[in-house]
Amino acid sequence: MENKGERDLRLLQLRFIGKILAGFTHESKNYIAIVKESAGLIGDMIQLGEKAGDGSQAYLEIIHSIEEQIEKATDLFRHLNRFSHRMDTELCTFNVNETLEELIALLTRVARQKKIKLEKDFQQDIPSINNNPSLLQLLVFHFLEEQFTRLDKDSSLMLKTSLSNGSVIVQIIAKGNYLEAESEKGLSNNEIDDYIIDQLRGIIVKDNDLISISLPVSLS
Amino acid sequence: MKQIDIRVLVIDDEKDFANTLAQRLKLRNLKVNTAYDGEEALIKLKGEEQDVVVLDLRMPGMHGMEVLQEIKKTYPNIQVIVLTGHGTDKDEEEVKKLGGFGFLNKPADIDTLEYKIKAAFKEKVDRTLSANTFADNNQ
Repeated sequence: MENKGERDLRLLQLRFIGKILAGFTHESKNYIAIVKESAGLIGDMIQLGEKAGDGSQAYLEIIHSIEEQIEKATDLFRHLNRFSHRMDTELCTFNVNETLEELIALLTRVARQKKIKLEKDFQQDIPSINNNPSLLQLLVFHFLEEQFTRLDKDSSLMLKTSLSNGSVIVQIIAKGNYLEAESEKGLSNNEIDDYIIDQLRGIIVKDNDLISISLPVSLS
Repeated sequence: MKQIDIRVLVIDDEKDFANTLAQRLKLRNLKVNTAYDGEEALIKLKGEEQDVVVLDLRMPGMHGMEVLQEIKKTYPNIQVIVLTGHGTDKDEEEVKKLGGFGFLNKPADIDTLEYKIKAAFKEKVDRTLSANTFADNNQ
């Protein structure tokens, strides 16, 4: 039978996947809607040829816009595909920057809805680590989600990576104002975060504006 | 006979979508403006009168429902058609309750949207006329 930690972890994972899929389908539907309207606009212009005049430049602009939407959608599909495959194996060697990049791409819409900017500052030469990438994404998501609800609009959240004393450090830095009801409370102490960081064999240090996750390069 | 311009405000945070839809509606002889969030829309409504609003629901900042509520409170004659990619039955019910004229899912057929806009405009004209008649009768 699952213990409490495992049960909470599964529930959080389901919520995480649900949130990612909701954002993904929303974004995809928007791209499709723009492509549909753009194609419709070309159709309109052909039908109303006389009124539109010599529209070859206008046609090219619309075609360019369609291509742009398809590129954006393809990027999003690639990120979702890689995100899904992160769950294939529990342990593997992976690049932390790429894992976080993926998370940023999939959560950009959620952040935009809250009018919060998601930024990154990655140290490019950090070594790949041997750990559980999906669990790391889940932990970072959990902190981001909490900060999304605490921060006021026009704030920003930065994901920063660096190497320190042989460990890879992931920092989540909040800049801006907190909502009135949240400013006194501070970050919550969730048992599940401790459970996940134990699995990752890392360390978390939490302050109000700064969450620092330290991960060993190798679990062995 | 002089053709009456139907003034439409398209409110959607997806700029490419709003602009392309606006272009298509302009080709159908509607006078179209765009706003990319609720706050901008309310400022535009203050500056220039509109007949029909085409409104997205999930937008950054003000949610579409709040925008709808604000529009109906301040400009009760303006007719609002919600055009959303992620509307639920509950949303549709809420839109009706708040006085929205119509509810369409994205991507909508352009002819259906044009038809709805014209029907909404007719509703606005009828309401204005009956309000004027009521006022005249009470003088």
